[in-house]
Amino acid sequence: MSLEKRKIAFKTLGCRLNQYETDALVSDFDQAGYEVVDFKDAADVVVVNTCTVTNQSDQKSRNIISQAARNNQGSMVVVTGCMANNYKEKLEGQDKITYVVDNKRKASIRQLVDAHFNGEILHPSNLDGDVFQFSTVDKSLHTRSSIKIQDGCDNFCTFCIIPKVRGRAVSRPLPEIIENVKHTLANGFKELVITGVNIGRYEWEDKRFEDVVEAILDIPGDFRVRISSLEPDGFGDRFLDLFKHPKLAPHLHLCLQSGSDKVLLRMRRMYAYKRFESIVECFRVVWPDFNFTTDLIVGFPGEDEDDFQQSLDAVNQFGFSHVHAFKYSVRKGTRAERMEEQVPEKVKTSRSAQLRDQSEAMRKSYLNRFIGQKQTVLIEKIDEQGWASGYGEHYVPVEFKVDGISKNTFHKVRITKLKGENESLTLVGELELI
Amino acid sequence: MQAIKIDESFYKVKEVRRLTDETFSLRLPKKQFKFKAGQHISLGIQGDYQSREYSIYSGEQDEHLEVLVKEVKEGYFSPKLSHLKPGDLVEVNGPFGKFRIDEKKVADHKFVFIASGTGIAPFRSMVRTYPELDYQIIHGVRYGHEAYDKDEYAPERHVLCTTGDKSGQVHGRLTKYLKKTKFDKTTQFYLCGNSNMIFDALEVLKDKGFDRDQIHCEVYF
Repeated sequence: MSLEKRKIAFKTLGCRLNQYETDALVSDFDQAGYEVVDFKDAADVVVVNTCTVTNQSDQKSRNIISQAARNNQGSMVVVTGCMANNYKEKLEGQDKITYVVDNKRKASIRQLVDAHFNGEILHPSNLDGDVFQFSTVDKSLHTRSSIKIQDGCDNFCTFCIIPKVRGRAVSRPLPEIIENVKHTLANGFKELVITGVNIGRYEWEDKRFEDVVEAILDIPGDFRVRISSLEPDGFGDRFLDLFKHPKLAPHLHLCLQSGSDKVLLRMRRMYAYKRFESIVECFRVVWPDFNFTTDLIVGFPGEDEDDFQQSLDAVNQFGFSHVHAFKYSVRKGTRAERMEEQVPEKVKTSRSAQLRDQSEAMRKSYLNRFIGQKQTVLIEKIDEQGWASGYGEHYVPVEFKVDGISKNTFHKVRITKLKGENESLTLVGELELI
Repeated sequence: MQAIKIDESFYKVKEVRRLTDETFSLRLPKKQFKFKAGQHISLGIQGDYQSREYSIYSGEQDEHLEVLVKEVKEGYFSPKLSHLKPGDLVEVNGPFGKFRIDEKKVADHKFVFIASGTGIAPFRSMVRTYPELDYQIIHGVRYGHEAYDKDEYAPERHVLCTTGDKSGQVHGRLTKYLKKTKFDKTTQFYLCGNSNMIFDALEVLKDKGFDRDQIHCEVYF
């Protein structure tokens, strides 16, 4: 490394797993002496961690790559992430891109960049391929750190390109996970998010997903644990019992995708609506305020008005506090690409708007129930006026006035009101004096 | 740290076995490939960027790895597969999937396999893998000649339902047979085929009082 630090900028698109992998790369470059700068600032290296889950993600990724090259002429542009897997040859043929690195080799990007600055041009295919080799995330980035336990998916849902771009399901050995958790906690993190592509299918030796969660919860320390996106299959009573542990946050992002069994089958999902319903009921019997959020796809091939109505009904029935609604878009190479009865764009847009209205109403109703209750908030930000913001254990956004306390600390807050509209709805509270 | 293993390799086609004008099986050498009956693989053709998923048609102990393919004339992939010759290279990834027999139930449970068209593939694999299995196959096709490798199954275990001719034991959809038939309470049902057939068959079985946990589904690709 020269005396003057090389500058590196990152841009991430897509899922929490991608965000985690970028965070780990940032930490890796930071520790190696690079200066990490904002994406809009001039840099010697720009890394774009792309997404390809929808057409819109492709478009966004393409735009960001162009922007990175335009703003940093003569600099090194490294493109990685799922789009790099899906369109490898096309991207490799573009002069504005220096290196295209697939997901499997993403963790070795620093090796590639270091070599480049030492005058050694490596082909990315010669890099080490290990999807769990990422550095532990440094505490300076966020108050919440992901813990990657799994990668890839073997489900082959008919709409999904992920098995083609993330590869087959692989699980990280449990001892490595525990080591990673300990390092992450030692770096000062107070909240861990268990992450992967299909974490419910964790399988290493005789250990399953519940064993991983339990082992993490058993690690001593003042922290809490969240579970990221989960498929509603493959877990039972033991999973429910884990939520009795005070460190495990009462929130699940459980992917429903459609309220219609007919559509779920066409999507090749592994569960029926009743199964989803029974999971939600089991949790809500014990914890009536348990927070469920979900993904729903609108306008999947063959989705008629009745099917769509069932999705709307599901939002009401399950009282989701947030619905990530996707308009279905054709992904090349998936089974759904070859399905008949594609839904017109106009219909998808209209259904998407209806679903958004419905989910915003449910969000308001869900958040309202916390007025008068207490939440334990992990402070993520404190603004100049002394307003702290963060999330309560139910993954609800909370703001409150503080004086003399710092970020990344837990505080009991009594909720007094709800402010804002739609996605910016936030609970406002008062610090509970002990 | 040890790099992850990438489970993919190329196989030379051994034989393209014609079953009907449209349907054929592709036989590959088995090499070290290990799978569980009911699982599927992802199949690619050398030099082509696309791949498709196919259930494995052969048994776990068979000397070759086999998949069952129906050619979609206007399709992209299956016509290319149908033109393969012995010695051509295909890429195999996998195996994938949880659509498998619960081995603990083999000795004391009845198994009912419900298939439409080439959805019979995983069931042939299961029958060849577990010779002691107490099973019945209910196969729905349009015409009788689509009863692929019918002679391999004991006649009393194979019920053919045909909608386009009267050559099957049942003339009509397989749901017609399901509705009028009694099954043991503890029967394990395995359904494989297109999503419409599976949806309708599920409804019939649920109406008959069977628990969803007894019903295993594989929606066909």
